[in-house]
Amino acid sequence: MTVKKIDQITLDIIKDSLQAAGEEMFISIARSAKSPVIYETLDFASGITDAKGNLLTQGNGITGFIGMLSSMVKEILKKYSTPESIRQGDIFISNDPYVGGGSHLSDVTVAMPIFADGAIVAFSVAKAHWTEVGGKSTGSWSVDADEIYQEGILFPCLKLAHEGEMDQNIIDIIRFNVRFPNESLADMWCQIAGLKTAEKRIMEICKKFGRETFLEAIHKVISNSAENAREKLLQLPQGEYEADTWIDDDGLETGPIHVQVKITIRDGKFIVDFTGTDPQVPGPINLPYSVLESLCRVGMLVATDLGDEINDGVFETMEIIAEEGSIVNARRPATVGTCWKTMLPALNAICKALIPVMPDKFVACNYGTVGSFILAGTHPETGSAYIDVAPTLGGHGAGLGMDGQAAQFSYGNGETYNIPVEVLESRYGFFVENYELNTGVDAGAGQWRGGAGLKRRYRMMTDNMSFTGSYGHFKFKPWGYDGGQDGSNCWFQVIRADGTEEPPQGKGARILMNKGDVLAVVTSVGGGYGDPLKRPAEQVAMDVKNEYITAQIAKDVYGVLVDENGNLQGVTDARK
Amino acid sequence: MKIATDIGGTFTDIVTIDNAGRVIIDKTHTTPPNFEQGVLDAVKNVQERPDGIDMNEGVESFIHGTTVVINALTEKKGAKTALLTTKGFRDIYEIARGNRPDLFNFRFEKSVPVIPRYLRREVEERINYKGEEVTPLHKEDIQKWVEYFKGESVESIAVVYINSYKNDAHERATVEYIKELWPEVCVTGSYAVTNEWREYERTSTVALNAFVQPVAEAYVNKLEAELEKQGIHSKKYIMQSNGGSTTFANAKETPINMVESGPVAGIYGAAVLGKQLGIDQIIAFDIGGTTAKCSLIDGGEVKVTTDYKIDKNPKTAGHPIKVPVVDIVEIGNGGGSIARIDERGALKVGPISAGAYPGPIAYGLGGEHPTTTDANLVTGRLSPENFDMDVDMDKVREGVMKDVAEPLGITAEEGALGIIRIADSNMLNALKLVSVRKGYDPREFTLVAFGGGGPMHAAALAKDLGISKVIIPLAGSVFSAWGMLMSDLRQDDVKTNIVRLGDDTDFESINAMWKALEEKALADFAEKGISAANVVFSRNLDMRYAEQEHTVKIEQGTMELSADTYGSIVERFHEAHERAYSFRLEDSPAEIVNLHLISFGRVEKPPVAELPIIKGTLEDSLKEVRNVIFEQAGSLSTKVYLRDKLPVEVEVQGPAIIEEVSSSALIHPGMRAVKDKYGNLIIDTGVSENDR
Repeated sequence: MTVKKIDQITLDIIKDSLQAAGEEMFISIARSAKSPVIYETLDFASGITDAKGNLLTQGNGITGFIGMLSSMVKEILKKYSTPESIRQGDIFISNDPYVGGGSHLSDVTVAMPIFADGAIVAFSVAKAHWTEVGGKSTGSWSVDADEIYQEGILFPCLKLAHEGEMDQNIIDIIRFNVRFPNESLADMWCQIAGLKTAEKRIMEICKKFGRETFLEAIHKVISNSAENAREKLLQLPQGEYEADTWIDDDGLETGPIHVQVKITIRDGKFIVDFTGTDPQVPGPINLPYSVLESLCRVGMLVATDLGDEINDGVFETMEIIAEEGSIVNARRPATVGTCWKTMLPALNAICKALIPVMPDKFVACNYGTVGSFILAGTHPETGSAYIDVAPTLGGHGAGLGMDGQAAQFSYGNGETYNIPVEVLESRYGFFVENYELNTGVDAGAGQWRGGAGLKRRYRMMTDNMSFTGSYGHFKFKPWGYDGGQDGSNCWFQVIRADGTEEPPQGKGARILMNKGDVLAVVTSVGGGYGDPLKRPAEQVAMDVKNEYITAQIAKDVYGVLVDENGNLQGVTDARK
Repeated sequence: MKIATDIGGTFTDIVTIDNAGRVIIDKTHTTPPNFEQGVLDAVKNVQERPDGIDMNEGVESFIHGTTVVINALTEKKGAKTALLTTKGFRDIYEIARGNRPDLFNFRFEKSVPVIPRYLRREVEERINYKGEEVTPLHKEDIQKWVEYFKGESVESIAVVYINSYKNDAHERATVEYIKELWPEVCVTGSYAVTNEWREYERTSTVALNAFVQPVAEAYVNKLEAELEKQGIHSKKYIMQSNGGSTTFANAKETPINMVESGPVAGIYGAAVLGKQLGIDQIIAFDIGGTTAKCSLIDGGEVKVTTDYKIDKNPKTAGHPIKVPVVDIVEIGNGGGSIARIDERGALKVGPISAGAYPGPIAYGLGGEHPTTTDANLVTGRLSPENFDMDVDMDKVREGVMKDVAEPLGITAEEGALGIIRIADSNMLNALKLVSVRKGYDPREFTLVAFGGGGPMHAAALAKDLGISKVIIPLAGSVFSAWGMLMSDLRQDDVKTNIVRLGDDTDFESINAMWKALEEKALADFAEKGISAANVVFSRNLDMRYAEQEHTVKIEQGTMELSADTYGSIVERFHEAHERAYSFRLEDSPAEIVNLHLISFGRVEKPPVAELPIIKGTLEDSLKEVRNVIFEQAGSLSTKVYLRDKLPVEVEVQGPAIIEEVSSSALIHPGMRAVKDKYGNLIIDTGVSENDR
């Protein structure tokens, strides 16, 4: 069949319509989710692929899921390979970390085929963090799991609906194996609603422009993007760039762990090579391959500034080299529950390798963790059980010409919102003593300052609260760059009702807390950039006036004399 | 007689209606930075023109829309502002929500608070989430910081305490104490602006109110003095963002309510026009020079939300302003939007605009890049004669050729049509955002199109959406001012109060809260000179499923809540949730999050008079016949009519153009249009029942 050559403007309109469909799908999930981890943290992604699983458009709340959606579709096509085995109205479900774009078990993907004129033209896919998928700990992931079976139930790319008819067996398995089945199932329903939204829009586009035109347009979308990405890569500084970094430990007994990366930008390729990185570990910080792929893609999108054009064309230009069985490419059945503990340091290592040649894209090191936080207990008024799962804000690194951002979520997050204090107190009943910036710390100084971390204290109002926390950079500090000072550590501490202060720690599992106990959490100041002695003296004085730094730090580190009211008094010999 | 004036970026519009219902519209240039001058010029103009107004008739009310607040906010030109907040929470305003909308930008920067850290100070006090006092208010802290603020020459102070949405006693006491200590300073407590939970959003709202208050106050005072000098001693109102007006005095207290003063009035105008014509399902659509705005009107009432943000775009988080604002979707697509081929070879239109200066190439003021307006000229949809200035058509065509057609290897005409298609596609997405994406079927709606570009693009877009009827209102080019003229006073009180609905719910306390809100509204209206008899209430509930965050709004109606009646509220909630999100959770308990009381203070409005009968035939109003390029049909010989001379209730067949001074309505082949007895154009897009 011959197809009329598609004109550029029609192509642009189809492309825009696809993007609009992707956005609509994303919004529909965000707004109807029942779990805060989805609707506030936006710990989910949704997108549309072509009939072969090539990503066409992706809506993202966070960066962490880039590239995982297409792998899911490819796994469906592999597992259900006969022509008759995928029908209109079928829905698939998977959370296997080792195939189909899985990450940790908490991230559950659903996907459905979209038909036009009797043939598959596309798939819609939605992946979301479920608050609960069972396992040994409330919230499913834990910092001390040493077998994947402790991290929840696994759906190995199953058919959840047959021609529109839900498989009650699977639903029952979920209902009786997770701790908050109503939440998990409601989130599943909202994911499915998102799939159907996309289906409706794609069918409309096919009807309006014709199926063949649609197919040709999406083919062009991908090939144009690939070409564009190659051009972008050719414009970047060509060469090989290396860096390494250390991760505190695996939460059990292994550590510190070394991550080594080499990036080659040449001939329109972006090659990331992790050769020399330490082997996988018993603790749950191993990366399944698709998480590695995702973090490398994030690094590339930042370097090329192609973030608003996410499809598989862009990623044709990327190659990843990572030894199977290393911590960044773990072998089944390694535990992966807190894989971001390795993902973010690995991403920061990419930043460290590239910042010397791309200071206009990258900044010094940040608090390097999602800062995952689980507090489970009962509400003092209603007595109902709850679980608060959320990431923690932290300080970001300074960059050329800009101070680091204070109290932002990690690189793995994105359009993630913190839960307001007033909502926390009302919903969970604990008492928030403070929620403020971690300022006045002797860390992160530079011509441009690292951003302040967060300090907060929660006082328990009921007994039998259980806390699990997972913070990075407890031992190693976030690096500064080009003479900038390193940042500070992350830690948390329990202060018992009787005043006993327990030692600060970076990770802890199921710590029992009772009424009157206080949980204090402090996150890093980000790394500084450039020599602190080069920061203009008036700006240092203003930093003192704003109490971001103390007058003592101004004198000792910045060489600037400032009085207690923030007035500039002169400079020290170090500056002269 | 009533007078309404609306200050826009380029023009200041005026609409008057006399006691006989005769409407006069006029425009004059906006006069920055002394915006009141433009208002005075406009008032003078309508007095001096031959058919002008007779001031001896007496001005009964003067209603005003202004950009003074949004200008101060976008240019960050407000007062030196300070914040007092609860001990331990000084940085809430700077921390914001920690989100990074520009996901793959690691050099992302947060929106900078308008109050620097050294002017954000803490007071020892605490209320818990139940509204109980945990720590009493330490007044000595207030005193200390007020002294400090004086030393820093602060002009305005914002006060926000944690959980004040539940109990505002400490905030009120603080504001009173500051006024006592320092009567000259402006001071705003969050309770006076918003009573919803979420401390960052409340802080941002109050900080911005405090930031603009001195500026807004000076402006309103100056305008009032000048109007008095002109002999306008009537009641004076300012349009708010909620689609209703308020008194000058109240506007000075909470100027943040004026943030979208002008634009919402057009949407409100569409609702009023709908009432006049007996239509209550409307999509209001306004295309100006820089942006296109649309809003959906369901059941005759404009929709209001408190999710408004300024400086919010895909790259920045923006500043939330939690005051009621008519729910508008705005995109950077107007007549002046520039078309270009981007680095990836795709044709883009907007959001960069040529603005009023240099404007489209057609203006001859030095604009070199083609805009939507230029594309409309090349396709013959606009005529050079529609412009005040001499249009150099060669230059316009050259611009389209160079920036768009040549890179794509097509003709100037095809390029121009391409620009229009892309602009239409952008606007279509915006129209879908307010309709389809919210669960409304556009085919059940009428499109009311106004602004300079509305009449040009509306019919084609309506057809794409399956809408059969488009209305181009008489005062379409000054429609915001027209909407203001028809406005009532309006006040929205939104109060967070989380209650799970069930048989054992304490309904009495909810009903008591409604009563309290209504009494407050009545007292506020009494202060504005509106008696209780003229106040109409509408009780609305923001509801959600237990544990869910986002809410949907439903109308409670006049029914009191009780164990017997709450079931019907819950059912209404299920329905609204299903429409918005495509599913319902029958097993989940439903919760009230906010009580939202809308109070209207009705004011007398003279009915709009019918037009005097225009004698003559269609041919008498024919201006010319010219070639116009259409998407499907290509170049067609098209009749161009003058709207003024068009006889009433006589059908015009498409393809046709109906021109007036400031805009042109395009009637596509197969469509029909008539002018109704009020002067509105009604277009039948020819979408038949079968197409639906």
